[in-house]
Amino acid sequence: MLQRVQSTNETRSERNYQVAKWACFVISLLLIAFAYVDVGTISIGSNNYNLSLIRLNKAIAYTIAILGLQVVIGYTGQIALGQSFFFGTGAYISAWLIADHSWPFLLTLLIVVPSCFLLGMVLGLPALRIRGLYLALLTFGLAAVFPSIVKLDKLYSYTGGAGGKLTSNYKFIAPAWLPFDEVAQALQKIPLLGGFFGDGPLSTREESRLWKYILFSLIAGLCFWLVHNLIHSRPGRAMRAIRDNETSAATSGVNLAITKTLSFGVASALGGVGGAIYVAEVGIASPDDFSSLVAIYLIVGLVVGGVGTLPGAVVGGLIYALVPDWASSTQSISFVPERWLQGPTGSLILGILLIVLTLFLPGGVVAGWRRLKSKMIAKQ
Amino acid sequence: MTTPLLRVEDLKARYGPVQVLHGIEFNVFKKEIVVVLGANGAGKTTTLRSISGMVETSGLIEFDGQPTKKLNPSEIVRRGVAHVPQGRGTFPELTVEENLKVGAFIRTDKDIKTDIEACYSSYPVLYERKAQTAGSLSGGEQQMLAVSRALMSRPQLLLMDEPSLGLAPQIVEDLFTRFVTMNQDHGTTMLIVEQNAQLALDIASRAYVLESGEVTIEGRAEELVNDDAIRKAYLGT
Amino acid sequence: MDLLLQRIFDAITNGSTYALIAVAMVLIFKATTLINFAQGEQAMLGAFAVLQLWNWGIPMWWAVIIGMLFSAALAAGLERAFIRKFDPTDHLPLVIITLGLFLVINAIAAIIWRFDPQSFPQLFPSGNAFTYNNVRLSWYSIFAFGSCVLVLLIFQTLLTKTKVGLAFRAVSSNLESSRLSGINIGPTLQFGWALAAAAGTLGASIYAANPVLQIEPSMMLRALIFSVTAAALGGLDSLWGALIGGLTIGFVQSVVVQYIPFIPNEMSLSAAVVVLLIVLTLRPSGVLGTRTVERV
Ligand SMILES: Nc1ncnc2c1ncn2[C@@H]1O[C@H](COP(=O)(O)OP(=O)(O)O)[C@@H](O)[C@H]1O
Ligand SMILES: [Mg+2]
Repeated sequence: MLQRVQSTNETRSERNYQVAKWACFVISLLLIAFAYVDVGTISIGSNNYNLSLIRLNKAIAYTIAILGLQVVIGYTGQIALGQSFFFGTGAYISAWLIADHSWPFLLTLLIVVPSCFLLGMVLGLPALRIRGLYLALLTFGLAAVFPSIVKLDKLYSYTGGAGGKLTSNYKFIAPAWLPFDEVAQALQKIPLLGGFFGDGPLSTREESRLWKYILFSLIAGLCFWLVHNLIHSRPGRAMRAIRDNETSAATSGVNLAITKTLSFGVASALGGVGGAIYVAEVGIASPDDFSSLVAIYLIVGLVVGGVGTLPGAVVGGLIYALVPDWASSTQSISFVPERWLQGPTGSLILGILLIVLTLFLPGGVVAGWRRLKSKMIAKQ
Repeated sequence: MTTPLLRVEDLKARYGPVQVLHGIEFNVFKKEIVVVLGANGAGKTTTLRSISGMVETSGLIEFDGQPTKKLNPSEIVRRGVAHVPQGRGTFPELTVEENLKVGAFIRTDKDIKTDIEACYSSYPVLYERKAQTAGSLSGGEQQMLAVSRALMSRPQLLLMDEPSLGLAPQIVEDLFTRFVTMNQDHGTTMLIVEQNAQLALDIASRAYVLESGEVTIEGRAEELVNDDAIRKAYLGT
Repeated sequence: MDLLLQRIFDAITNGSTYALIAVAMVLIFKATTLINFAQGEQAMLGAFAVLQLWNWGIPMWWAVIIGMLFSAALAAGLERAFIRKFDPTDHLPLVIITLGLFLVINAIAAIIWRFDPQSFPQLFPSGNAFTYNNVRLSWYSIFAFGSCVLVLLIFQTLLTKTKVGLAFRAVSSNLESSRLSGINIGPTLQFGWALAAAAGTLGASIYAANPVLQIEPSMMLRALIFSVTAAALGGLDSLWGALIGGLTIGFVQSVVVQYIPFIPNEMSLSAAVVVLLIVLTLRPSGVLGTRTVERV
C-alpha cells in the first residue's frame, strides 16, 4: 500500500516536472522572439552574426521538413533523399495560391498537405519494389530534377519560371487582440536585462515578424504532436518493425505496402508544410532554393540532430538555418586565410559535420546529449 | 599421444546478444576425417566459421600448436586451413579456371598450373567446363569445384560445411568416395559438418554431436553408428 | 535526317563521359553494393588537379595521367578512412558518408578554384574529322569515344589478367568465399575505389575538354544523375553495360528529347530520371545488364 502511494507521488512529480519543462521551453521561445524581433546581431571580433527572427523562421521550416525525414528514414528505415522535392512542391503550391488567388497563408496549407501527401504516396510506390540504395538513387534523382521542372515554359504561369514566384503581396498581420506592444514594453522595463528587448513600441513590420514566428511555431508544435502520436500508434510500430527487419515485420503481419506508402505520404506532407512556411518567410519561391543541395542539407539536419529522434529535427533545422548563414557572415578569423572564409564554407562545415557525426556519434547531437546527461546523473 | 592438428577448448561465440556456442571442445588429429553432426541451428556452421576466424570468439583454438586468436581469416588460410562454406562455395560469375586460381590466391610458387592440371585430371568435368562460369554448373559440379578451390591452397586441414546439402544421393556418394581417396592418397585432414549422418559416419574415423551449441556425444564413428540415440536422431531408423 | 545524324554524334560525345563516370560507379557497386554519391565530385576534383598540373607547365597528357593517379590515391585514402569501418550491408551510414564527401569535396574545390568557369586544355585535336552537308563529326567526339573504349579495354584486362583484378572480381562475386580463400577484403576494395576514381577523373577531364564546355566545381552535378542512370541501365554491375547505358542516355538526352515536341530542352535531366525510375522499378537488374552483356 505504502509503495503504491509513493509511486503515484512520483508520477505526479514527474508530470509536474514535464509541465514545468514545457512551460520553460515555451516561455524561452517567446523571450527569444521578443529579444530578436528587431536587430539581433552578435558581434565576435569583426564579424557580425545575424540572429533575427528571419533565421529562426527558416529554421522552423527546415525543422518540419526534417521531421518528415525522421518519419521515413528515422522510423521506417527507407533511404529517401528527395525531401527537397516535396519542400519545393509545398512552397510552390502555397506561393501560387497566395500570389495568384490571394489565399491567406493558413488556407493554402489545406491544399499543400493533401497534395504533398498524395504525391509522396504516388512517388513512393516504386519504393514498394525497390529498396535501399536503389531508392536512395531514385529519390536523389527526384531532388535533382525539381528545379528544371518548375522552370518549364509550360508551367510558367504557375511557377514564374527561372525568376520564381513572388508572394510578397501577402502580409502577415498580427491579430489586434495580441498584446505584443504591452509585452514588449513590460519586458523592456526589466532591470538590467531590459535593454535586450529593444526600445519603445514595436513597428508593424516587427509585429508581423513576431506573429509569423508564433504562428509557425504553433504549426511546428502541431506537427510534432501529430508525428509523436503517429510514432506511438499501431502504424508507427509497424514502421519501426520495417526499419528493424523488413522480412520479420512482414511475417509478423505488418502490411509493408500500406505502411511504407503511409510513411512516404506523411514525410512528404511535412516536407510540403515546411516549404510553405519557407516561402511565407522569404516571400518568393525560386527554383534554386529547392535544388538537390537542399536535399542533402536536410539530410545533414537529420543526421546532426540524430536519426530517429524527434527533438533532433529541431537541432537539425537550427543547424541548417544558422551554419551556412553564419559561415558566410564570418569574414575574418585570424590564422585562417580569407579564401577559406569566402567560398562555400558553410557547405564545407556541414559536410564535415555529416562525416564526423556518422563516424563518431551515430545518434547525433540528441543522443550525445542524452549520454552526457545520464553520465552526469550517474556521477551524482 | 601426439598433439592434435586442431585443438578447440571452451569455444564460445555469439551473434550480438545471442550466445550460440557455449564452450565446446574437440580435437582433430593429422590425417583424420572427423565429422560433426547436429540438427539445424545447433551451431555447426558457427563452429567452422570460428576456426576460420570469421566470427568473434572466446576460448582456445589452436592450429598446428599455435593459437589462432589474433589472426584474421586471410592469415588463417595462409597457416593451412581451407574452408568450403555451407551452400555455394564457388564464385558464380567467375569461370571454373578462375575459381581455381582464386583458390590458389595465397600461393606464390610455380606449381599452381600443375595443381590445376591435377585437379582437371581427377575431375574431367571441370576440365570440360573450364571456360564456363561456375554459376552455369550443376549443383554437384559446383560442390566439386568448391572443394577443388579449397584444395588449391594446399591446406593441412580442410573444413567442409554440409557438402551433401541439396545434392542427389548418388552424387553425394561419389563426392564422399572422393573425400576418402583424397584422405588416403594425400593424407588431407578433414573436419566435415553434416546432417547426412549415415554417409558421413561411414567415412569418418571419429565424430562429435553438437546440440544447441554444446558437444553432447563424442566417440569413434563405428560406435556412434550403432548408438541407439544417434540412430533415432540422425539416421532416422 | 541530317539533324538526326548530328544528334546521334552529339549523343556519342556526352554518352562517353557519362559512361566513364558510370563505369566508376559500377566498379564500386559491383564490389560493395554501395552507390558512391561523391563519385562525380571526386571526378571533378581530379579534373581540377589536371588543370592545375597543366597550369604549372606539365605536358597535357602527363597532367591527365598524374591527375588520375592523384585521384586514385585520394580515393584509396577515403576508402580507408571513411568507408571500411562500416558494415557494408547497412546502407544508410554509407550513403550519408558519401553525401558528406560530396559536400566537402565540392566546397573545397570551390574554395580553391572558385566558382568561375575556367577553360580546360584541349586534350584532342580541334576541328571536324568529317563534314557532310550540315553534319559534323568532331575529332573531339571520336577521341572521347575512343578513350572511353580504350579505358574499358584496359580495365577489362586489369580485372581479368592480374591477380588483384581476379581478387576484386572474386570479392564482387562471393564475399565469404573470398575471405575463406585468403583474400584481404579491405585492400581489394580499396583497389576498386582507386580504379573507379581514376576512371572518373578521366571522364571529367574529357568532359571539361569539350570545346564548348568549361570546368567549374558544379559541373558534375547534372552529369552524376545521367551517369547513375547509365549505370542503372547497364544493371549497375557490368562495365560494358555502363558504356551502352551511357550512350543510351546520351541518345535520350540529345535525340529523344529534341524530337518529342512536348519535351522542352531543360527536361533532359528529368527524362533521365524517368528512365531511372522505369529501369529501377521494372528491371532492377538493368535492361542491358547481366544476361545480354558479358559480365566482366
Ligand atoms: N549471422 C547471424 N546472425 C545472428 N544469428 C545467427 C547468425 N548465423 C547463425 N545464427 C544463429 O546461430 C545459431 C547457430 O547457427 P549455425 O551455426 O548456422 O547452425 P547450423 O550450422 O548448425 O545449422 C542459430 O540459432 C542461428 O539462428
Ligand atoms: Mg549450418
